[in-house]
Amino acid sequence: MAVGIDLGTSNSCVAIARRGRIEVLANAYGESICPSVVHFAEDGAIEVGNRAKSRAIHDPEHTITAAKRLMGRYYFSEEVKKAKAVSSYQIVEGPNHAVRVKVRDSVLAIPEVSALVLREMKQVAEAALGEPVTQAVVTVPAYFNDNQRQATRDAGRIAGLEVLRLLNEPTAAALAYGFGRGLAQRVAVYDLGGGTFDISILEIGSDVFEVLSTCGDTFLGGEDFDDRVIDWLADDFLARHKINLRHDRFALEKLKAAAEAAKKTLSVDDEAHIQIEDVAKDPAGGSLSVDRRLSRQEFGALVGDLVQRTFKVCDEALQQANLTVRDLDGVILVGGPTRLPLIREAVSQYFQCEPKAEVDPDQVVAMGAAIHAAALVGDERDSCLLDVTPLSLRIGVAGGLAETVIERNTPVPIEQTSVFTTFRDYQQSVRIRVYQGEVRIEVTFEIDTDGIVQVTARDPDTGQAASTQIHLSSGLTEDEIRTLVEKHQAEPGATAAQRPAPPPARAPVAAPLSPDGDDDLTALDEEVAGLGDEPLDVGDEELPGLRGDPAPLEEEAAADGGVDQEFDALDPASMEEAAEAVAPESDGGAGREVEFDEAALEAAPEPEAGPDGEFEPSQLDVDAEAGDGGAAGREIDLDAEPSHASPAALDEMEAVGSGELDPLAMDLDEADLDSLVDLADDATAVHEMPPDAITRPRGEEPAAARRPAADVDDIDLFDAPGSDLSRYHDDGEPPHGDS
Amino acid sequence: MTALDPAEIRALDAILEELDYYQVLELVPGAPTSAIRSAYHQASRRFHPDGHRARHPELQPPLARISKRVAEAYSVLRDPRRRQVYDRQLAADRNTLRMPLVQAEAEADRQRREAREGRTPNGRRYFALAQRDLASGNHVAAERNLRTALTFEPDNALFRETLAQLKKR
Repeated sequence: MAVGIDLGTSNSCVAIARRGRIEVLANAYGESICPSVVHFAEDGAIEVGNRAKSRAIHDPEHTITAAKRLMGRYYFSEEVKKAKAVSSYQIVEGPNHAVRVKVRDSVLAIPEVSALVLREMKQVAEAALGEPVTQAVVTVPAYFNDNQRQATRDAGRIAGLEVLRLLNEPTAAALAYGFGRGLAQRVAVYDLGGGTFDISILEIGSDVFEVLSTCGDTFLGGEDFDDRVIDWLADDFLARHKINLRHDRFALEKLKAAAEAAKKTLSVDDEAHIQIEDVAKDPAGGSLSVDRRLSRQEFGALVGDLVQRTFKVCDEALQQANLTVRDLDGVILVGGPTRLPLIREAVSQYFQCEPKAEVDPDQVVAMGAAIHAAALVGDERDSCLLDVTPLSLRIGVAGGLAETVIERNTPVPIEQTSVFTTFRDYQQSVRIRVYQGEVRIEVTFEIDTDGIVQVTARDPDTGQAASTQIHLSSGLTEDEIRTLVEKHQAEPGATAAQRPAPPPARAPVAAPLSPDGDDDLTALDEEVAGLGDEPLDVGDEELPGLRGDPAPLEEEAAADGGVDQEFDALDPASMEEAAEAVAPESDGGAGREVEFDEAALEAAPEPEAGPDGEFEPSQLDVDAEAGDGGAAGREIDLDAEPSHASPAALDEMEAVGSGELDPLAMDLDEADLDSLVDLADDATAVHEMPPDAITRPRGEEPAAARRPAADVDDIDLFDAPGSDLSRYHDDGEPPHGDS
Repeated sequence: MTALDPAEIRALDAILEELDYYQVLELVPGAPTSAIRSAYHQASRRFHPDGHRARHPELQPPLARISKRVAEAYSVLRDPRRRQVYDRQLAADRNTLRMPLVQAEAEADRQRREAREGRTPNGRRYFALAQRDLASGNHVAAERNLRTALTFEPDNALFRETLAQLKKR
């Protein structure tokens, strides 16, 4: 039998479609909604669902909740940091920056934890149906990236299920809504789950369901609402009793349970009474409790910005579909939090219509998955699901930028070919980085009358910006200059030209200059400009603020055979593309390059500029030979850590072959998975598994898989750290030219 | 879904590289925009691998190839701008049957811009100057700039039209 499983952040659900009917399957206690919570008891027993959830209060450290939030993410990502802040269980770093959870003596990969939930759903289905269940359609948030999808698929395999298809949650919901009803409607599916938000616009026909666009936020959901309530309670308690409940795992768990309960109460009542007895002790040993009332209005104020964030995503989805809310026939609500009157009212207001009432927001996704599962195994009449890819796929090019190959909201399945060339003579290998996501970076070049170039990079979505000055003339850092100022003042007789610039490592830190010391610096600039003939290495200086985290992994693929040289296509290298990207109209400028090196700056302090003083960056070749000889250019690293609002994270995975994604990316390889599948049959075995059993050591990949084509060593799949300046490449002009 | 003839699928798969996007979707080249979506739906009903997974597992690879081409054809033809670029490409070279989506997008942007502002740097420059003159009421200068723009792009319809309107005044 093939079932449909909604693997949710907070709750999971399993359903089956047979004999023309769709049934949601309940467990032995009659519960059809299973909390996605796993508890690990001291004796090795593992519990999933309501029983596990009830343990959370007494044993928070060994109870894993909301594992889906960590699915397919990297340890250094913003999302994992956030999760660490609110989790009562231990989140640790695994090999290759993977995320692991540590419970008792074992370390588990996230797909393993999710596999335990899936296995529970499988068992519930088997008990309800009285026969083995081996196949399933598992749903994922539409906005999940490739990493997260792979991890979900792995979880299914570990749980002993053949995952027939990963179906997008909103698509599943639309299928359940429209199946067999002969509708012709254009609807929005507003899917606010425990941890993720998706919006999809679909056209529903009698037998064809076409997704017109989909957008989302994989770190926005009901759990965030709970967190706001927890914060509100904890802040209030801190103010009253000077005790921070956040530092007490048990108290935090009680707050969590109370916050969730209050949220649910507010779905029905106008006010929730939050009472937690004995949540802490006062200095004298007396018992302290929480006793607060939370009104709908107060709750609305606590989470209002989160709700507004969902509508920003809706705007984007409508825009991508070239539609307005008036073009829609209705809106379907999916996910527990959409039961909140606050959400219902905001949604009705935004979409200018009442949400469809005939849909159960907790079960509709599993039902849709079940319909599709039945269709895939040929049990049921079939509907054609035409989905789209939620995220653009881009390829990194020289200079740290990326060129789009497949735009988001392109119908799938799709295949696109792009042609690239090497960028150096005698280049024998190519490093290909694949990015998924939508981060865009605006790069602005400015040049002042002193010929100082200022480069500003800005993320237009968040306004986050960083800038740096390029001193191609001197290549001295601020510290070096300060040191020189000191020296200069100490030995007024000596000229700067007689001294080599001190290397940065040995440069003592100079005493801070007075606020008006800038004048001194300017004066010195000219002198130090003449120092030495060697270009000074300014190093890989990063733009402050744009990157918050460790650099993306750059695992050098072991080159075998005759390849003895490897170039990183994203070396501190050409900024030409960036320059072209913001190039104002430069007549016939294409192909013309003016070396903009230190000599040029010295010889011509007034740079090439347009008649009205406008700097034409396309004439600059800021590219410097980035080799051992030291770089005169400066790398502007735009591997930006994106904002929470933007879907992208610094996730990275590797893939091999002609664009085929490497299943090893989730650091579970075939053999590991198989062993996990075996192990998963025995619940306690998971505990005994050595942590490294699920990790494939680098370099042990099958050689055949690692070397697909002569020139392709290695394909890295990034989740969006790059920028989307690709459209500038063709003509070196901004995309729409609405200047 | 619909009954399917394995021989037909294999035959279509074999000639896939010889079909243009209209042929892939079984459309006539001048088909109205409204027909494109229904053609895509019709093709998906017939060729989407999901619909034949249970009965024809052996046909999954050819069906996947066909479906990918169907989606590609739809992505280009449903977008009027991309479609225009594609039509021109097809008219210029009957053998270039496919067009990368991103290229179609960029090309459409470029063409749109050229249609609005001119094709050559100098043409754009003098046309922009002429428009500025027109806005400030300096018709003599505007005419001079338009004529100059036309020396760079003698066949530019927009420039000619603007000049003709100016002369009428």
